[in-house]
Amino acid sequence: MNNDGLDPLIHVPTRLKIVATLAALPDGDTLSFTRLQDMLELTPGNLIIQLRKLEEAGYLSSEKTRNGSAQKTTVALTSRGREALGAYTQALRDLLGGL
Amino acid sequence: MNHTSGPTAAGNGGTFGPEQAAALLDQTTQQARRKFQPSPPWLLVTRAVMVLAALGAIWLSVRGQHPYRGPTAADIPVLVAFIAVNFAATVAVRRHATAGVSGRSRFGQGEITVLVLAFVAAVVAMVALGAAGVNFATYPTSVLVIPGLAWAVLMAARANWRGLATGLAIVVIGIVGAFAGPAGAWAVAAVGLCVVLLGSAAAIAWQQRA
Repeated sequence: MNNDGLDPLIHVPTRLKIVATLAALPDGDTLSFTRLQDMLELTPGNLIIQLRKLEEAGYLSSEKTRNGSAQKTTVALTSRGREALGAYTQALRDLLGGL
Repeated sequence: MNHTSGPTAAGNGGTFGPEQAAALLDQTTQQARRKFQPSPPWLLVTRAVMVLAALGAIWLSVRGQHPYRGPTAADIPVLVAFIAVNFAATVAVRRHATAGVSGRSRFGQGEITVLVLAFVAAVVAMVALGAAGVNFATYPTSVLVIPGLAWAVLMAARANWRGLATGLAIVVIGIVGAFAGPAGAWAVAAVGLCVVLLGSAAAIAWQQRA
């Protein structure tokens, strides 16, 4: 956590957008890498780096499936990721409410 | 959270403060909810206006019939066009919204089968009514009861209470229409479906803003 109680893993614009987008999906749904990239307008390289950091923290899970020669990657927020976003949102509220 | 300070500062090398974070979180969440929504409020409102116009036009044409003979030949193309446009728009918007999404929110094979069977059952019921000497046109809203019930059951199984309410409301429209007389049934369907669609649009719009 930062001094202000904000989770440093989420408190980065790109990662905040990734987490917020995945949190908008119903629980139990996954999103394809290409749709996520399309929605956030990120380069594949940048998105892969940010997803890896979030996955290492256990905030999201990814799955690769192969259909013939094409490989499809899907990602989803884990329950830990949802909890972390909830805590981050609460920390933001506390900070801004105290201003 | 509604914060007016723009989130762009952080992207331009500035500090990413709580205000920017809150604004970015709000903006991204609302955008994502809008993009993932298979039944956006604008589509539901359009559908509400269309159903009111299409079924209202039929009611206007049949309300003066004594005795009641049912929709005229001129009404049928309006009804068919409404169903075709509605179906095409629904499929196109849903396909766009759910592109790349997989998992629990998508209908499973079993659920699709239940819905198809419900519509088949509605057609069978219409034919059975006709065979029993009861013209379907006498009870036009009866066609809503079986699909409405099927939708309500599926939504209840998914713990989707808004969907359940929609399904039950459609069943109620079907039943109320059966007691409104043949001409009045068209008015009940037009107003009832319009209200249900507007209610759903309002609920979704509110949910997206929350």
